[in-house]
Amino acid sequence: MDYIWQWNQIWDYRQVFVRGMQVTLILTCWALLIGLVLGLALGLMRSSRLWLLRVPAAIYIDIFRATPILVQLVWIYYALPILSGVQMGNITSASVGIGLHAAAYIAEIFRAGIASIDRGQSDAAKSLGMGYGQAMRRIILPQAVRRMVPPFINEFATLMKLTTLGSVLAVNELLHEAENLINNTYRPLETYTVVAVLFGLMIYPFIWLSQRLEQRWKTRG
Amino acid sequence: MSDTPIISVAGLHKSFGKLEVLRGLSFEVQRGEVLAIIGPSGSGKSTLLRCLNFLEEYQAGEVRFDDQLVGYRRSGGGKLKLDSENNTRRIRARMGMVFQSFNLFPHKTVLENVMEGPLVVQRVSRNEAEQRGRTLLQRVGLIDKIGAYPAQLSGGQQQRAAIARALAMQPDAMLFDEPTSALDPELVGEVLEVMQSLAAEGMTMVVVTHEMGFARQVADRVMVMDRGEIIELAPPAQVFGAPKSPRTAEFLRRVLH
Repeated sequence: MDYIWQWNQIWDYRQVFVRGMQVTLILTCWALLIGLVLGLALGLMRSSRLWLLRVPAAIYIDIFRATPILVQLVWIYYALPILSGVQMGNITSASVGIGLHAAAYIAEIFRAGIASIDRGQSDAAKSLGMGYGQAMRRIILPQAVRRMVPPFINEFATLMKLTTLGSVLAVNELLHEAENLINNTYRPLETYTVVAVLFGLMIYPFIWLSQRLEQRWKTRG
Repeated sequence: MSDTPIISVAGLHKSFGKLEVLRGLSFEVQRGEVLAIIGPSGSGKSTLLRCLNFLEEYQAGEVRFDDQLVGYRRSGGGKLKLDSENNTRRIRARMGMVFQSFNLFPHKTVLENVMEGPLVVQRVSRNEAEQRGRTLLQRVGLIDKIGAYPAQLSGGQQQRAAIARALAMQPDAMLFDEPTSALDPELVGEVLEVMQSLAAEGMTMVVVTHEMGFARQVADRVMVMDRGEIIELAPPAQVFGAPKSPRTAEFLRRVLH
């Protein structure tokens, strides 16, 4: 193996990576926001006793978990405009698509987290006269969130990596920028290595944080 | 007003699916009365208690608290319909409940647990809630544990904190669901003591229990349940001394030896 690494060319193009990372982070933020809000709503609906809420949520979750995200993205970008006349830009399409996809998984995290809290907790809250919303907000969710942190960070990392699929909609996120760069420089090894390291640097702090939180909450019971 | 019963139950039926757990119970609890409910496990005691504050829905009959129907309202045609959550909550807030497994909120300190109801449900000021909390924790002997989390307490301490939490709502009646069954034997006494002092103050109490000593000494009346029915309801002297039903006699023979 006598491949000669050439990093100086990559360094010259550092602005390209910065630009790509910005788009990746924007995609991540929007998709996360959509995924969280919709995921919480779906998770609560999925845990509901009313079938009118529970069944639609279950159907949504099953559809999005049973089909490939790549197909979902392409469908939202190419098929949805024809059917509905709604044409979103590529960054919006990718954010929405990844967000809708993540919502299905986040909903399951919320549902499982809520279900893992002992029923006695909601009995106690109800016996004090609390309503459903108060019991959720003050008693159930604060406990459930702690149990949801590890799977949630996991989903967050997955979500950030999924943003690379934006490249099929020609979104200039990190991977897409890198591929364009390779077409100019013919340095795929260096470029992909940098992309991998940059993703690692963006994601690892959250994994570390999750482990710290878990440790801290464990000691308090 | 004080001569109307605080709780009155008429023809109460409750099923879980096909399993009929309560088969038409009727009884009343007077203000200031201590009613102990005993009976073999699976006889429906806890379910009955949970119907009183509508933690369990019942299918037929009526539960009334202070002459208000619990959990249901009559629609125009006289049919029963589920009551609004707000009405049910208002009634629940007037009944304190203590659980076998304590069910303290593990993410809150002892004081926060006790303040939670007054703060969130009654919307009293922080000062007032803390004042109530400290007074009650003093009373149940936990003033030095105010800042502790439930996981740091013994079972007996947790149950006393749970009693204080229920009392903080200044309820008109207290429901106890086997409050000492999950405790190590040496911790039972401290919880019973608190309950006994409550009874002495005239608190209305409905206590599902396996503590025959408590039922005999503290209760005004004892209800014996078996297979979803009331088989005996009388003052303790009569239930323990001269049970009318052979099933009561059989049950007492088993638990007292």
